Amino acid sequence: MAEKEKTSSSQPRISGWLRSGLNTMLVPALAVLTAMIVGGIVIALAGGNPFAAYAGLIEGSFGSLNAISETTVWATPYIFAGLAVAFGFKGGLFNIGAEGQLAFGAVMAALVGYGLPLMGVDLPAVVFVPLTVVAGIIAGGIWAAIPGWLKAKFGGHEVINTIMMNYIALNITSYLLNGPMKDNNPLNVVARTPLIAESARISTVFPDYRFHWGFILALLVAVLIWFILWKTTLGFEIRTVGTNPDAARYAGVNVSNIIIITMVISGALAGMAGSIEVTALNYRHELGFAVGYGFDAIAIALLGKNHPAGVVLASLLFGAMRNGATRMQFNTQIPVDIISIIQALILLFVAADAIVRYIYHIRIQQDRLVLTRGWGG
Amino acid sequence: MEWKRFGFIAFIIVALFSIVVLIGQARDPIPTIIISMAATTISVATPLTLGALSGVFSERAGVVNIGIEGMMLTSAFFGWFGAIYFNTILKFEAMPSLILGVVIAVLAGALMGLLHAALSITFKVDQVIGGTVINILAIGITGFFNRQLFFEKNSIFGGNVPHAPGTLPSVGQVPFLANVPILSNLQPIAILAIVLVFISTFVLFRTRWGLRTRAVGEHPRAADTVGINVSFMRYVNVIISGCLAGLAGAYFTLESVPSFEPLMTNGRGFISLAAMIFGNWTPLGAWAASLVFGAAQALQINLQFYRELIPPSLSLLQYPYIVGLTPYILTMLILTGIIGRTVSPAADGQPYEK
Amino acid sequence: MSKKLSLLLAIVLIASAVLSACTPTDSKPDCSKPEVFCVGLVTDVGKIDDKSFNQSTWEGVKQAEKDLGAKVQYIETTDSKDYAKNIATFADAKYDVVVTVGFALGEATVAAAKKYPDVKFIGVDQTQSETIPNLAGLIFPEDQAGFLVGALAAQMTKTGKVGAVLGTDAVPAVWRFGEGFRAGAMYIKPDIEINVVYHNDVGFDKTFSDPEWGKTTAIAMIDKQVDIIFGAGGKTGNGALLGAAEKGVYAIGVDTDQYYTVPEAQKVLLSSAMKQLTPGTFDLIKLAKEGKFPGGNFTGKCGYAPYHDLDSKVPAEVKTKMEELQKGLIDGSLQTNVAPVKP
Repeated sequence: MAEKEKTSSSQPRISGWLRSGLNTMLVPALAVLTAMIVGGIVIALAGGNPFAAYAGLIEGSFGSLNAISETTVWATPYIFAGLAVAFGFKGGLFNIGAEGQLAFGAVMAALVGYGLPLMGVDLPAVVFVPLTVVAGIIAGGIWAAIPGWLKAKFGGHEVINTIMMNYIALNITSYLLNGPMKDNNPLNVVARTPLIAESARISTVFPDYRFHWGFILALLVAVLIWFILWKTTLGFEIRTVGTNPDAARYAGVNVSNIIIITMVISGALAGMAGSIEVTALNYRHELGFAVGYGFDAIAIALLGKNHPAGVVLASLLFGAMRNGATRMQFNTQIPVDIISIIQALILLFVAADAIVRYIYHIRIQQDRLVLTRGWGG
Repeated sequence: MEWKRFGFIAFIIVALFSIVVLIGQARDPIPTIIISMAATTISVATPLTLGALSGVFSERAGVVNIGIEGMMLTSAFFGWFGAIYFNTILKFEAMPSLILGVVIAVLAGALMGLLHAALSITFKVDQVIGGTVINILAIGITGFFNRQLFFEKNSIFGGNVPHAPGTLPSVGQVPFLANVPILSNLQPIAILAIVLVFISTFVLFRTRWGLRTRAVGEHPRAADTVGINVSFMRYVNVIISGCLAGLAGAYFTLESVPSFEPLMTNGRGFISLAAMIFGNWTPLGAWAASLVFGAAQALQINLQFYRELIPPSLSLLQYPYIVGLTPYILTMLILTGIIGRTVSPAADGQPYEK
Repeated sequence: MSKKLSLLLAIVLIASAVLSACTPTDSKPDCSKPEVFCVGLVTDVGKIDDKSFNQSTWEGVKQAEKDLGAKVQYIETTDSKDYAKNIATFADAKYDVVVTVGFALGEATVAAAKKYPDVKFIGVDQTQSETIPNLAGLIFPEDQAGFLVGALAAQMTKTGKVGAVLGTDAVPAVWRFGEGFRAGAMYIKPDIEINVVYHNDVGFDKTFSDPEWGKTTAIAMIDKQVDIIFGAGGKTGNGALLGAAEKGVYAIGVDTDQYYTVPEAQKVLLSSAMKQLTPGTFDLIKLAKEGKFPGGNFTGKCGYAPYHDLDSKVPAEVKTKMEELQKGLIDGSLQTNVAPVKP
């Protein structure tokens, strides 16, 4: 692997820090711009008006206080799931199973949230809210620990195993939500759990807006993940295993343990995405609500260059696009699928940054991400 | 080693069939059950076999391909669109329209293969990310154009979905094959899939091309030193992979049912990937594994069919969700080597740098 | 940043300006004016062009555009957390009528109806437990339609085996169709063999859009001497009809007269269990326009479609019996005894 030194290392500390930050953001920003231009051409070719479409997108995502509030609602699970994938990447693991971990976390959070009161356990919110959230975190962690353990112990590749775990999670949640955990209210016909107790819910920040404390929590967790990765020994070991497992093993790091820990934390973050959706927004788990978060999270992690701050920004962008899509469709009747096209193009240009650098004549080299070295086995 | 694997796979298929025979024999004669199970197994296995072959070609050349799902979906859409376009706008007969539709599906697959090759070989993008790009792009493109071309009032079909030219006919229409059970129901792509299994085996293990392909997947540097063009070999094989995924896509809209649905491939591309691993990166193994997944699906359908006959002690079998877990758990066990070890091509997933 | 970049940007800008100039700029209607009658539709997490549920309702809205001069618009929901927001998008723009499609939007629709008393809401497939004057739940006795075609199947089978291929039973309309079919068949022939298979093994987003599964399942039944297939569940059910057509056994469609929507199955299509979504939606919009909007539950029509090509194959006594049964169901002298939802 020919990996170039970062050009910023010789700069004075603060300005160098800033400059490398800007340099890091330059390519993703240009990738987004390029993707929007190509997306605009696709809209125009299909007979739509790209300017009206993008105006609708912006109006719907930032045009009013409520629009901004809704954008944060959409961004919240993206931040957690994006952090989950980014954390895995830092440890050299490709967690493509955020979808399943999220669903499993949501189911378990809902189970605790409505189940404990049924069993006669009455807890104050100070205890009950954290307990419900933690249930989702643990469930997501366990769901990711299985492929982590299979990788550490047997070398089975996490990409296939997390995909398989997604299908297993889908089947099990379908079974639970149609059977034992189904909302028995005679009026209910949907495959969903009962509502969780009032005292298990995370409240909104302002009345009349759905902007909730879960978003603030997501920002705090992003800081925590940054701290773990760059300020602790564990984080150092995870990053070392991610860049060079052989060197890590030589330096005395227990690589198997680090692989499992990385997967568990990654899964816990995805599970937290699920439990926050349940405790702060939907107050229950409903079948099929998490369709597509797993793939979006991969795009977010890459767009954010696997850095927590980048993940937060990328999540806000993706949240804004998903949220604004409603207004765009209302204004112009352009199908919402255009958002998926733009997101795929963003991912394309971020991943193949050589294209972007060629178009815009940027010479700065950046580290390349190489994760998949065969399936193991 | 390989015989053990095939024995194991045969054992699973027999076991899955036996469960249905034991439960269903109270109502239907045993040969009827077996023939019906076999027919379901083969038809479910067709797109999986082609998808798994697609994976074999790409990965034997050292390029991981998780974009099979997206390639299938794109081809399913454009093949269908092509067939309707030739039939409705250009007034071709049904049969030539369908055949041209298949050609377009394969070309669409090849184009997606080319994109994957460019990303992973020229731009050296991580190959799983390249595959993810293809998967997301496929959802967006097919959803967007399906709406624009077939629903909106100003589309070329005037907002009405035109009648599709039908599906590819079954072999039963050839007179002397009409009364052979199972075979008479097979359609061209299903047969082609089986033929391609044997062609692929021959190409990969008995020709110079196959030797070179495996060389760039196992030891690209060594291959390079003896004068094999690593990039070229990888490009062509990934495009072949796209063509095979394209044929699998054609199965959905031109052979199975004459319609396109958003997301209609329903994760079968990922199951194909699992079948490829299950089959240890060989065409024959991939085919056998696809039949296992087909049999598991046949089990699921038939257990619902005989729901009332399931003894109470096995009541868990009444839940299709639980039965549906079998293939996924089997794949994980196989991949991790808990049952039957698999060996992936040594340079699978690694970009080659001189 | 070079010449090449500025050139590229210039080309893109000119191209999109030219292209957008060619397309007509849609002037949005001002729905707050009393003379402008606006109807909006919010889908559940399905698509507007699903050729089933959402699309049939949308056809009703489009009929209002044609016959009543309404301004119409739709929004597709991509995630259940957007239900309230999507309904509010119409209500805040002062739409006169908002149609929400599917049981899953029930709670969001009730909440919106209370928040926007001046807007009329039509909740398709949403049973109302309380009467809100500006909210009508459009519901259908699908079990009756299922019962009728079940009875037809039982009279027409030669092998004594009939089958139903359905979407997920978690959707009550599908459950009522399936169990109504069972009840109707048993009513005619108590010892009949009935095979009912639901596509429960995939997610909600896929259970109605898997025609390949529907076809495979139907053929698996036909291989076991089932000679009448009832396909109910969007495209999955349509796949079952195609399977029947391929094998040359009788098929029964669902929702609309599928003689027109699945032309490939015309030669074997015996009838369809009809649920008249399009006229039901249109009738309610018309009542809203005339100021006679009924709150509470509004029952739409169900029935069975004509025999079309197979008219000569259906014996006269069967036709008489079918008319008798339909009459009995309408006047209440005959009950299907099907629970409204899966117990």
